[in-house]
Amino acid sequence: MNILVRKWTDKVFTLLAVLSVVLVVGALVGILLPMMWRGGGAVVFRGTVEFRRMQLEQFGRGDSAAVQAEVDQAYKVRQRAYEILADFAAGLDTSDLQTHVRQLHREFGEQLSNRDLPQGQAAELKKLSKELRDILLSALETDSKDQAMEALDAVLPHAQDPGLKDTAASAFFDVARKYKKTIASMDLKRRSEFAQPLKEVRDSVRNLLGPSPGESVPAVTMQQYGATRWDQATEHLDNLLFAETWVSAGDGKSLVKKRTPREEQFAGTALAELFPYVRNNVRPMLRPQWTFYWQYFLDDNKSGHYFGGVGPEIIGTLAITVLAILFALPLGVAAAGYLVECAGDTIATRVLRMCINTLAGVPSIVFGLFGLAFFVVYLLPRLGMPEGSSIVAGALTLALLVLPVIIRASEEAIRTVPRAYKEASLALGASRFGCFMTVTLPSAMPGILTGLILSMSRAAGETAPILFTAGVAMGPIPTSLSQPTRTLSYSSYDMAVGDKMAMLAPHNQFGMIMTLVAIVLLLNIVAIVLRSRISKKLRGH
Amino acid sequence: MQLNWRTLALALLAVAAAGIHQSAVAQARAEKAKPTLQIEGSTTVGPIADEFTEAFGKLHPGVVITVKKTGSGDGIAALIDGRCQIATSSRMMKLEEFKKAVEKGVVPVTHTISMDGVCIIVHPSNPVKALKTEQIKDIFTGKITNWKDLGGADKPIVVISRDTSSGTYESFTHFVMGKDKMFEKVEYVNSNPQAHSRVETTDGAVAYVGLGFVDAKVKALEINGVAPSKKTIQSGTYAFSRPLFMFTNGYPELGSPVHAFCTFHLTEKGQEIIDAKGFVPVTNY
Amino acid sequence: MSTQLADSDTQTAGFTRPLLLTPAQDRGGWLMGHAGLAALMLVTATSVVAVGLIFVFIIREAWPFFQAQGFGEAVSGTDWSPEAQGQERFGMLALIFGSLYVTAGALAIAVPVGILTAVLLSDMVSFRVRQGVKPIIEILAAIPSVAYGFFAVLVLAPLMQERFGLHTGANALNSAIMLAVMAVPTIVSVAEDSLWACGRELREASYACGATRAETLLKIVIPAAHNGIIAAIVLGMMRAIGETMLVWMASGNACQIPHPWYDLTQSVRTMTATVAGEMGETPKGSTHYHALFAVGLMLLTFSLVLNLLTEYLLHRARRSSGGHA
Repeated sequence: MNILVRKWTDKVFTLLAVLSVVLVVGALVGILLPMMWRGGGAVVFRGTVEFRRMQLEQFGRGDSAAVQAEVDQAYKVRQRAYEILADFAAGLDTSDLQTHVRQLHREFGEQLSNRDLPQGQAAELKKLSKELRDILLSALETDSKDQAMEALDAVLPHAQDPGLKDTAASAFFDVARKYKKTIASMDLKRRSEFAQPLKEVRDSVRNLLGPSPGESVPAVTMQQYGATRWDQATEHLDNLLFAETWVSAGDGKSLVKKRTPREEQFAGTALAELFPYVRNNVRPMLRPQWTFYWQYFLDDNKSGHYFGGVGPEIIGTLAITVLAILFALPLGVAAAGYLVECAGDTIATRVLRMCINTLAGVPSIVFGLFGLAFFVVYLLPRLGMPEGSSIVAGALTLALLVLPVIIRASEEAIRTVPRAYKEASLALGASRFGCFMTVTLPSAMPGILTGLILSMSRAAGETAPILFTAGVAMGPIPTSLSQPTRTLSYSSYDMAVGDKMAMLAPHNQFGMIMTLVAIVLLLNIVAIVLRSRISKKLRGH
Repeated sequence: MQLNWRTLALALLAVAAAGIHQSAVAQARAEKAKPTLQIEGSTTVGPIADEFTEAFGKLHPGVVITVKKTGSGDGIAALIDGRCQIATSSRMMKLEEFKKAVEKGVVPVTHTISMDGVCIIVHPSNPVKALKTEQIKDIFTGKITNWKDLGGADKPIVVISRDTSSGTYESFTHFVMGKDKMFEKVEYVNSNPQAHSRVETTDGAVAYVGLGFVDAKVKALEINGVAPSKKTIQSGTYAFSRPLFMFTNGYPELGSPVHAFCTFHLTEKGQEIIDAKGFVPVTNY
Repeated sequence: MSTQLADSDTQTAGFTRPLLLTPAQDRGGWLMGHAGLAALMLVTATSVVAVGLIFVFIIREAWPFFQAQGFGEAVSGTDWSPEAQGQERFGMLALIFGSLYVTAGALAIAVPVGILTAVLLSDMVSFRVRQGVKPIIEILAAIPSVAYGFFAVLVLAPLMQERFGLHTGANALNSAIMLAVMAVPTIVSVAEDSLWACGRELREASYACGATRAETLLKIVIPAAHNGIIAAIVLGMMRAIGETMLVWMASGNACQIPHPWYDLTQSVRTMTATVAGEMGETPKGSTHYHALFAVGLMLLTFSLVLNLLTEYLLHRARRSSGGHA
C-alpha cells in the first residue's frame, strides 16, 4: 500500500482515539457539572426575608429580634399592596369571606356545645345559625346585586336574637353589613369578567409575599410563607406582572401563547396601580440577601422537601452503607484470602469464582426482591427482630451486592504483595494462617481499603435493593438498627416519582442528587488518591 | 493458638457482636412499647399521608410514624401480612385481596378520606377543549392518532398513561377503557408529576392525572360537557370522580394513634390539608 | 532426617522451643491451622450459598407462572397486559426485545468509543496521562444510576423534543445513549487491561517490521487481545441489560416493538423496568406476581449465560497470552 495512505490511516486512527476520550470526559463533565451547579443552588442562593422568617419559626434558627425587625420593615412596604388588593377584591372575590363565614358557624357550634344548654334549644340555635350561614353564602356567591341585597336583608333582622348575641354568630351580621356597603356601589356583573384573572393575581401575591397579616394561618406549612428564594420570587413576580393566555391562531391550528401585562388587563380599575407598585418595591418587600445555607446538610425537611435539608437522609445513607461494609468486609477479605492462598485451579475453585461473578452480575432489582422475601419476611423475624423493613435488612442486601467488589479488590491487593514477604515469614516458622494474618493482610491493607471505599460508593448510590427492604419516604431518624430509614437514593427516587414537590422545588431535587453524587465522588477521589500512593510505593521497590 | 492481643481482640469482637444483637432485640422490644404507626401504599394518597404525619407530629408528639409509598397493591399486601397498620390506596381492594385477607384473619375496614378526579390533561396550546368518553377511549386504543381528527392542529397524538400498577391507572381503565386494552404505542410513566411534566413539555401529549396536578401549565379537558373542579367532583357530576381510601385491620381502637390518623380527615385541619393538597374533602366543611 | 535442631543449638540461640514442630508436637496449632482453612472455605462459600439462594428463591416464585401459562406464549407473545380483567396476557417478547434493543444501541455507541479509548490509554499516551485519565473514567462508573436518570429526563429528553423535533424524548435512543455512558468505563477498564497484557514484545516486533502504529494496533494487538476485548464487551452488555433505574425513567415504557424495528426514537420497555415498576402494586401470590418473577428469572439466566461466556473468554485470554500479568 502507498506509504501516504498508511500514514494518513495512522493519523486518522489517532484522531478517532483522541475524540473518543474527549467524548468520554466530555460526557462526564456535561452530565455532572449542570447537576452539581443546580444542586449547589440549594445551598448557596439569595434568600429573602421569608426564608429567614421560615428558618426562625420552623427551625428555631436566627436572631428573633433582628428577624422580627426585618419582617416589620418588609410588611410596611407590603401594606400598600395588600390594601390595594383587598379593596379591589372586597366585592369581587368573596372566597375569603366565605371561608370566614363557614368558620364562624363552626365556632358557634363549638361554643354551643360548651355552654350546656337544654337539648332542644341548642339544636334550634344551631339550625338557625346554619340557615343564616347558607343565606349569607348564597349572598356572597351570587352575581346578581338584587339577589344579594335580598339575602342580606333577610339575614340582618336576626341581629337582635338573644340566642345569638355575644357569640361567634353575631359576627355574621358584621359581615353582612360590611358586604352590603361594599356592593352598594359596585357592579357585580364584572365579577365574572375579573374572577379568573383576580384569582391568578391573588395566588401570585400569596406565592410571592405569603398570606397577608389578617388571614388565618394555612394548614400546610408550604403555604405559610412567601417566596423564600429570590429565583422563586422572580418567577412569581413574572406571573404577577404578566398574564399568559393562549389565543387561537385559526381553525385547526395550535393555540399561541400571548403575554399581556396585567396593567392592561386591569386597566381603568383600582387594581391597576398594584403592579407598578409591586414591580418597583419588590426588593424592599423581600429583602434578598446572599445566603449560605450549609445547614442544608444537617436539617430535616418540612412540607415534603419543600423547605429544609437532607440531614436525616445523609445519616440514613451513611448508616446503611457502613453497616453493609461491616457485614461484607470480613466475608470478602476471608474469601479473597482463601482464593489466593489456598485454592488450587480445581473445578471447585472455578465454580466458586463463577458464583462470585454471577453475584456481581445480578441486576439490582433482583437483589431487592430477594432482600424482601428472604431477609425481611423469612430470616430476621426468626432472629427476634420485629417484622418490617429495617436498616439491618437493607444492609444485608447491600452487603451481598458489594461482596463481589470487595472480593475482587482484595484478591488483587493480596496478589500484589511481594512473595518475598510471605516466604520470609514462612521461613521464620509462622503457620500459613499466621503468615496470612500477620504479614500478607497488613501489607495488602491499602489495596483492600481502596476496594472498601469503592464498594462504599457503590452501596451509597444504589436504590433498588433498599426499595423494599429499608427505605421509607417519611419517618423519623432511626434510633435503632431495627427501624427503617430514609436515604438519599430512595428520597431522590421518591421525589421524582411522588408529589408535586419535584415540580415546585427543583432546587431541592437537584440538591439531593448533588449531595449523593458529592458523597460518592468524595469516596472515589479518596480511593484514587490512596491507590496512586500505593502504586508509587510499590513501584519504588 | 497463642494467647496474644490478637486473639483477645477476636474474642472481644465476638462478645461485642452478641451484645449488639441482644441490645438490638431488647431495644426493638422497647420500641414496640412506644406507639408506632406504619403506613404503606399509594403514591397518589401518599402526599396526604405525609402532610398528616407532619401535622400529627405537632398535635400528638411521641408517636413514631413511618410512611412508604410503593403502590396501592403493596400497601394492601403489607396490611394483610401485618407489616403495617394503615394501607393507603387509590382503589378499592380487589376480591382476591379481600379473600386473602380473610384467610389470614384480617378484617379490612375502609376509611374514605377524600375524593379525587381523574382529569384528562393536554398541552395549553392544544385548541381542543372538550371530549367525550368515547373519544378518549379511541385515543387510548389507537383508533384516533392525530389531533386534527378532534378539531385540533395537525399533530400526532402522544398518548401517555400511568403504569399498570397504579391506582390511577385502575380508575382510568374502569371509567374509560372498560374491557378494551390500550394500544402498544402508549407511553407509560410512573407518577402523576411525571405525567404532568411530559404533557407540559410535549405539545402533542395527552395524559390523565389527579385533580391536584392540574395547574396553569397544563389544560384539563371538559368530559361530556363537565369541567373538573372541586364542586363537580364533590357532587359527582364530573364523570371520573373517585374516592381515596385508607384501610385498617378492623376498626381501630378509639383513642389510639391509628384511630386518630384515620379520622384526621374528618377534622377541620385534616380537611384543610386535603384541600391544600389539591384533593376534594369529603364534606362541605 | 530430624527436623529438630540439636538441643545444644537451641540452648545457644536462646530459643525455648524448636523452630519447626511436627503435628504430633503441636496438635493445637495444627488443628487451628486446618480449622482456620476450613472456616475460610466456608466463608468463601457464602457467596455460593447466596447465589444458590437467589436462584432457588426466584425459581420457586417463577415456577407457578410457567406451570400455569407454559413457556410458549410467554416468550413469543407481544401482548403484556397482566392487569386486564379476564383477558390477562403475559407475552414477554416486547419486553425482551426492549432490553436487547437498548442494550444493542448502547453497545453500538459504547464499543467503538470504549475500545478506542482503551487503545489510546494503553498505547498512545504517556504513563502519567494514563494514570490521570483512568480515575476520571472510574468516576463515571461510580455515579449512581438515579443521577443519570435525572439527567436523561430533565436535560436529554427535552433536548430531543425541542431541538430535534422528536415527538417524544423518553425513548430507546435516550436510554441507549445514557446506558452507553454507563457501560463505557467497564469496557475501557477490562479492554485496557487485556491490551496491556499483550506484552511489549508483540508491539516491538510489529514496529520492527515497519508497521505504523495504526497497523500495529488494528492488525496485531487488538486481534491478539480479542478474547479480553470480547469479555469487556460482554461485561458492558451485562451492565446495560441489568440497569433498572435509568431505563425506568428514560425509556418511555411503551410495551411495544417499534414499527419499523430500527426506529430508535420510539418508546420501548425493558424487563428490568417492568419488574421495578409493577412489583409495588401487584397482589402477592397472584399470576402477575409470578409472571414478574419469571421476568426476573429470565434476567438472571441472561446474566448467568453472559457470565459463563466471559469466564470462558477470559480463561482463554489468560492462557493464550502466556500468563502475563
